[in-house]
Amino acid sequence: MEISPTIFIIPTGIGCEIGGFAGDSLPAAKLLGSASGCLITHPNVMNGGSLSEKHKDIFYVEGYSLDRFVKGEIGLKRVKQQKIGIIFDSSIEDEILIRHLQVADACVATLGIDVDSYILTKKPLEIVIGSNSQGISEGLIKNPDTLIEAGEILINKGITAIAIVAKFPDNLNLVATNSYREGSGVDPIAGVEAVISHLISKFLKVPCAHAPALSPIELNKNLDPRAASEEIGYTFLPSVLIGLSKAPDLIELTDTHENITLHPSQIESIVVPGGALGGEGVLAGIEKGLNIISVKNENIMNVDNRYFNYPKIFEVDNYLEAAGLILAMREGINPKSIKRPLNKIQELSRKNQQL
Amino acid sequence: MKLSKVDFYLDWPVSIEVIDLRKFIIGKMIKKGEIIRWSIVDIKESIDSPNLKKIRIQAVLANPSNSKT
Repeated sequence: MEISPTIFIIPTGIGCEIGGFAGDSLPAAKLLGSASGCLITHPNVMNGGSLSEKHKDIFYVEGYSLDRFVKGEIGLKRVKQQKIGIIFDSSIEDEILIRHLQVADACVATLGIDVDSYILTKKPLEIVIGSNSQGISEGLIKNPDTLIEAGEILINKGITAIAIVAKFPDNLNLVATNSYREGSGVDPIAGVEAVISHLISKFLKVPCAHAPALSPIELNKNLDPRAASEEIGYTFLPSVLIGLSKAPDLIELTDTHENITLHPSQIESIVVPGGALGGEGVLAGIEKGLNIISVKNENIMNVDNRYFNYPKIFEVDNYLEAAGLILAMREGINPKSIKRPLNKIQELSRKNQQL
Repeated sequence: MKLSKVDFYLDWPVSIEVIDLRKFIIGKMIKKGEIIRWSIVDIKESIDSPNLKKIRIQAVLANPSNSKT
């Protein structure tokens, strides 16, 4: 059976009921990966703190690069293994740093991942966290140059994929954090995490992903299962290293001599939460006439198709239905044939036809 | 390099079809700085004109044009 390359997006920091927590969209990704035979998705979907999984049909691509792929700027090349380097924010305390280094060693020893080396940033990244009036998680770092400089050193030493670990402030809004942990809020640090990894993708053009370094927080007995994978260990680094270990190379489409496993012209569909159609990847998909599968997945956005009137949109109730739809497309079965009522075919009008 | 958050409204005229919307937004935003991250976070019908929608954009830009770096 031929594959049906599908992009799976769950924007970070908008409080999605599925995928807005700690890798809680990974089961949906595995389902969509199996249905399509080829799923391209981003770290927010796959990373569950200490938990993650490799899947033969899933390409792990950071969000900025994923958008570039949809726009047709890069292709993806499957690799056997990436050589991973880690950038640590120099403001991380010694004890937390050692915990992270032990995680890296464990991934080498137990999973066979090639984590080669690490570097500390010259200056602290200085994270600024915020949220807008809608509650969307946002923020930035005050010292982006020090991040880029550390990444350049790793690449010059032969590193092919970069994990970043930034220190987040100890004075995080406890109400917001506990609301997230109990399953009713937006991940307060998600917006900054995206900015950090986008910077590496934009300026260094290598696979990358981010894990926050947080000081231990109090036990919460009301923890939501969707946030539980972030409570298992001392760091969120394992899922990042697992994801990056087989992340595809990003091939500029001007490099014609490079072999490409997946070309952007092969993409057929984008799966995205309903109300979250306003991201660049989805808009680029609309530009290219791709199928947009909008899945009911409650979040705080309301950018939906009533404003776009895009004809190739499929609105479905859940990811099980999305998987069935993708499978139908993959098999060349008209999705309308599966639904009732089934309308008769229409006679075309010759009005306004140019001969 | 300096990063900056911007949050602004843009008029989306009916003459711009949805398939051209991304390029329309990028064309407006690129004047403000180098784009790191952006998204449409809200859309409303304009009360000023039936031929316009108001798009709210949230973005992080590098070296924004109003900075002194």
